[in-house]
Amino acid sequence: MAANYWASTQRRHWLFSREKLADIREGLREKDKVAHSQFPLPDQRLLNIYFNHQLIKLGKRMSTRQQAIATAQVYLKRFYTKNEIRQTSPYLVLTTAFYLACKMEECPQHIRFVVSEARGLWPEFITPDVAKLGECEFALISELSSQLIVHHPYRTLSELQTELSLTSDEVALAWSVINDHYLTDLPLLHPPHVIAIMAIIVAVVFKPTHPSTYPGTGQSALAGSMKEGGGMQMLAALSDKTGSCPPLKIQKLVGWLAESEVDIKAVIECTQELVSLYEVWEQYSEKNCKELLGRMVKSKNLDK
Amino acid sequence: MSLTNPPSSSGSLSRTRVGNLKRSLQATVDDAIESRRPGGYTSKVRVRDRYNIVGFISSGTYGRVYKAVGKNGKKGEFAIKKFKPDKEGETIQYTGLSQSAIREMALCTELSHANVVQLEEIILEDKCIFMVFEYTEHDLLQIIHHHTQPQRHAIPATMVRSIMFQLLNGLLYLHTNWVLHRDLKPANILVTSSGAIRIGDLGLARLFYKPLNSLFSGDKVVVTIWYRAPELLMGSRHYTPAVDMWAIGCIFAELLSLRPIFKGEEAKMDSKKTVPFQRNQMMKIVEILGLPRKESWPGLASMPEYSQLQSLVLHRQPSHFHRGSNLEGWYQSCLKNGGYTSTSGAGTPGADGFDLLSRMLEYDPSKRLTAEQALEHPYFTNGGAISGNCFEGIEGKYPHRRVTQDDNDIRTGSLPGTKRSGLPDDSLMRASKRLKE
Repeated sequence: MAANYWASTQRRHWLFSREKLADIREGLREKDKVAHSQFPLPDQRLLNIYFNHQLIKLGKRMSTRQQAIATAQVYLKRFYTKNEIRQTSPYLVLTTAFYLACKMEECPQHIRFVVSEARGLWPEFITPDVAKLGECEFALISELSSQLIVHHPYRTLSELQTELSLTSDEVALAWSVINDHYLTDLPLLHPPHVIAIMAIIVAVVFKPTHPSTYPGTGQSALAGSMKEGGGMQMLAALSDKTGSCPPLKIQKLVGWLAESEVDIKAVIECTQELVSLYEVWEQYSEKNCKELLGRMVKSKNLDK
Repeated sequence: MSLTNPPSSSGSLSRTRVGNLKRSLQATVDDAIESRRPGGYTSKVRVRDRYNIVGFISSGTYGRVYKAVGKNGKKGEFAIKKFKPDKEGETIQYTGLSQSAIREMALCTELSHANVVQLEEIILEDKCIFMVFEYTEHDLLQIIHHHTQPQRHAIPATMVRSIMFQLLNGLLYLHTNWVLHRDLKPANILVTSSGAIRIGDLGLARLFYKPLNSLFSGDKVVVTIWYRAPELLMGSRHYTPAVDMWAIGCIFAELLSLRPIFKGEEAKMDSKKTVPFQRNQMMKIVEILGLPRKESWPGLASMPEYSQLQSLVLHRQPSHFHRGSNLEGWYQSCLKNGGYTSTSGAGTPGADGFDLLSRMLEYDPSKRLTAEQALEHPYFTNGGAISGNCFEGIEGKYPHRRVTQDDNDIRTGSLPGTKRSGLPDDSLMRASKRLKE
C-alpha cells in the first residue's frame, strides 16, 4: 500500500534474494551472449555511479529534489532486471526514468524541458523529438507494471531521528549513506527500513572525526574509517549483544536494535555491501563508462 | 433534475465534440493501431484480445469509460477507462502522460480494499492507457436520482447507514495509507449489484506525507464545488484529510435529503488563471451553518480569503448572518420531508445521525471528525449490525447503469462524467512558460 511497506508492490514484486537477482541477470546474459562479449561494460556499480552523476546533472537546472533522483535510480534498476541494457539506449531510459520519477514525487517537469535539458547534456544520444521520451515512458511504465510508488529509507531515517536522538551531523551522514546505497543492488535486496538502520549505524559507529569536511558522497572519510576494520568488529558485536563497553550512544543503539526485532544480519550484510562499493569506487572512471556506453549505443543504433 | 454533477474544478471546457460520431465502439479501441516501426513500444497485452467492448458509459477530459466483458476465458464485466492522448494535428503523438493519470495508475495498483474500486489491470497500448476496473452496476448519484423518480421517496435509513459505514471504511483505509481522495461526490461512489460500496475515481488522489511541493502548488483547485470544504474555499494552502470528511458530510446530507446540501454556483477562473473567491458557494454554506467565527475556528482569520468573507458579511443582510447554525432545523425538516419515522429505531437516522452530520460539517478542519472517529460514532455503534450489502432488506431494484452503443450520446450529458480543466498539470504549464522565456 501507498504508505504501508508490508503490503506494497515494492515488497511483493520488487524484492529479490541475491540468488534470484543473479539468476535474472544470468538469464538476460544468456539471451544475448553475442552482445555481451562484443560490448563489455564496467562493473554494474560503476555504471550506477555514472548514471547517478548523469541524473544529478540532469536535475540540476530543474532544482530536483534528491528523492526524485532516488526514485529514478530505483526505476532504472527495476527496468534493467527485465531488459538487457545492451538492447536499450541508456541515456533515453535514464531521462525517462527521471521524467517519470519527477511526476511521481510531485515535482513534475514539462516533457519539452526535460528533453531539452537532456539534449544539452547528451546531444548525440537524445533526439529533439519528445515523442521518443513519451514512447519510452510507456515502455518503462509497462515493464514496471505501473508499480511506481517507491518506499525510500529517508522516511524511516527522519522518523528515527528523535527516537535515537541523532545529531544533525549524524543525520546528514546517514542521509548520504542512503544516497550511496542506490549505487548498489541493495534497493532490490532489502526493505527500506533495514537500509535506514544500516545508514544510522554507519553514521553513529563509523563517524569520521571531522564530519564538517564530509564531502557529501561517502567515498572519503567514511570509507576510510569503515575500512580500518575496528568498526566492523564493533558492528559484529551488535549481533551477539555482548560487545564490551562501547560508547553510550552505541549502547543505546544496540538496546534499541535488540528491542526492534530488526534483522541484524541483513543490516550487517548491507554494511558490507557498502564497504565493497567504496572499494570498487576507486576504479571509477567517468570517461571509461561514457566511452563503453557510447560505443555500444552507436554501433547497435540503439538511439534510433 | 439534472443527473450531472458540476464538473470537478472549474469546468470551463465545453464537452469535446467527438469527431467521428458513428464509429463502432470496438473501433474506438482499435483504431489507434497503426503500422509499428521496429524497436518502438508495443504492448505485450492487447485490450481487444482480452475484452469485448459492449458499450459506452461516460466521458471526461481525461478520456472515456467503456463497459466490457472478458473474452478468451476471462470472465466477468469490466469498466475500462481509456485515457486519451493529446492530439497534435491528425496523428496521435506520444506527449508524455499527465501527472493525474500517473497518480491514478500508481495508486490504484497499490490499493486493495473492499470499499475501494478494484483495478483489474492496466494496459498501455497504441499511445493510450486503458485502466481496467471491476464493473459496478450503480453509483450514488444514480441511486439518489432514482429516489426522486417519479416522485421523491427517501432512501431507507438502514441503507443510508450501510452506505455511510462502508464509505467511511474505505476512506479510513485511504487516509491511513496517506492517500487523500480530493474528489469525493456521489458520482464517484460506486455501488456493486450486491450492495458493496466502492470509492472510485482516484484521478485527483495523491499521497500527503512529506510532499516535495506543498499540496497547494500542484493543483490549485480541487474537489467539485458543492463538496468543497470551507478551508479550501477560504484559500487554505495546507489542507488535510479533513477535506474528504467534509465531502462525506455533504454526501450524507444528500443521501437523506436527495438534494445537494450546498448547491452553489462556481465562479470561473479569470484569464490570469487566478482562482476567484467562491462567494456563492460560501454563501450556501453560511445560509445553513451560519457564519464561521474566529472564536470557534482559530485559523480562520489567517486564511487568504478572510477579507472576502468579511466583505460578504458587510454587503449582505446582516440579520441573515448573525444567527447561528440552522443545521438542526435543516435536518429536522429533511427527516420530516423524507418520511423517516420520528421515533428512534431503524427507520430513522435520528438524533445520532444529526450529531454525526454536524461533526462532519464542522467548519474548523482540525475539529472535524476523522474517518476513524466517525466509524466509532453512536450512529453506527447504536442500533445493531450493519450489513455489508446496502441493499439488504430493500425491496425493488435499482435500474442498471446506462450503457449506450454510440459515442455521440456523450453530448446528451445524461450520465455523470468528471471533467477536469487545466487541473492535473498546471504546475507543468508553469514549467513550459519558463521554457519559453
